[in-house]
Amino acid sequence: MNKEVKYKIDEREPRRPFSVPEGYFENLTQNIMAALPEQEPLYSTSIVVTPWMRIRPYLYSAAAFAGIFFCIKAAVGISSTNNQAGMAQTQETTIYSDEYIDSFLETAMIDDCTLYYTLVESN
Amino acid sequence: MAYDEKRILEMLHEDDISRRRAFESIVRNFSEQLYWQIRHMVLSHDDANDILQNTFIKAWTNLDSFMGYSRISTWLYRIAINETLTFLNKQKNTVPIETDEEGEMSIAERLESDPYFDGDLTERQLQEAIATLPEKQRMVFNMKYFNEMKYEEISELLGTSVGALKASFHIAVKKIEEYFNNID
Repeated sequence: MNKEVKYKIDEREPRRPFSVPEGYFENLTQNIMAALPEQEPLYSTSIVVTPWMRIRPYLYSAAAFAGIFFCIKAAVGISSTNNQAGMAQTQETTIYSDEYIDSFLETAMIDDCTLYYTLVESN
Repeated sequence: MAYDEKRILEMLHEDDISRRRAFESIVRNFSEQLYWQIRHMVLSHDDANDILQNTFIKAWTNLDSFMGYSRISTWLYRIAINETLTFLNKQKNTVPIETDEEGEMSIAERLESDPYFDGDLTERQLQEAIATLPEKQRMVFNMKYFNEMKYEEISELLGTSVGALKASFHIAVKKIEEYFNNID
């Protein structure tokens, strides 16, 4: 069922129901120009480039690269120290285990099952 | 003197006096159409006048940023649109525009007491219906309906596709008609 439309936009001629104070548009340009700031905008004025402004980007880049370099170096240093410590620990464990096992194998005259239980208990 | 955009752009690069004269030409050429664009959004003459002044002050102080890639009118319209939306957002946060609560005036009531509104009851209701639309939809409706702008022009100003603008206008019309159907 079609609903009746009380107000049809396309059937009405657009009309601007607003008005302005008398003489408003006649004086508008003058009023706007009078309200503009006194100081002229710096249009097309070249910026003075100081030596510091010129070298600043290079210094910042160098500082950034140095920072990255030291971070990587620090990270690699920590990693290699950890590896060395890990290796030393592994090596020590291996040497200890071999000696321990050898002494058992040569002197104790025990079978594999006893060897296994002895090693488990010793750890 | 007829408005010559090419010459105006040249003058904006010249000395201070030429620049000021060029800007005066811009103000003379665009102030009235910008005023109406703003007025349809904010309704009050005083608010529209303030926003228009701010628009031109902003344009003048930011003349450096206008590189001439778009037309002067497009640049000015964009500033005016931003200023208007900023104003409406501030107003929304401080003054209740329309409410049923006792003691606060609706848009139709405000317009009735406005000495610079000369519309009848239906036109007051139309303004109230338009005020219920989301800001961008309201802007599209006003530009198309009252200012009779082409969709291509609106598209350039608002950065929205012509198809989306047509859809937005169509939805706005439906909402306004629906608003009138629900009166009484």
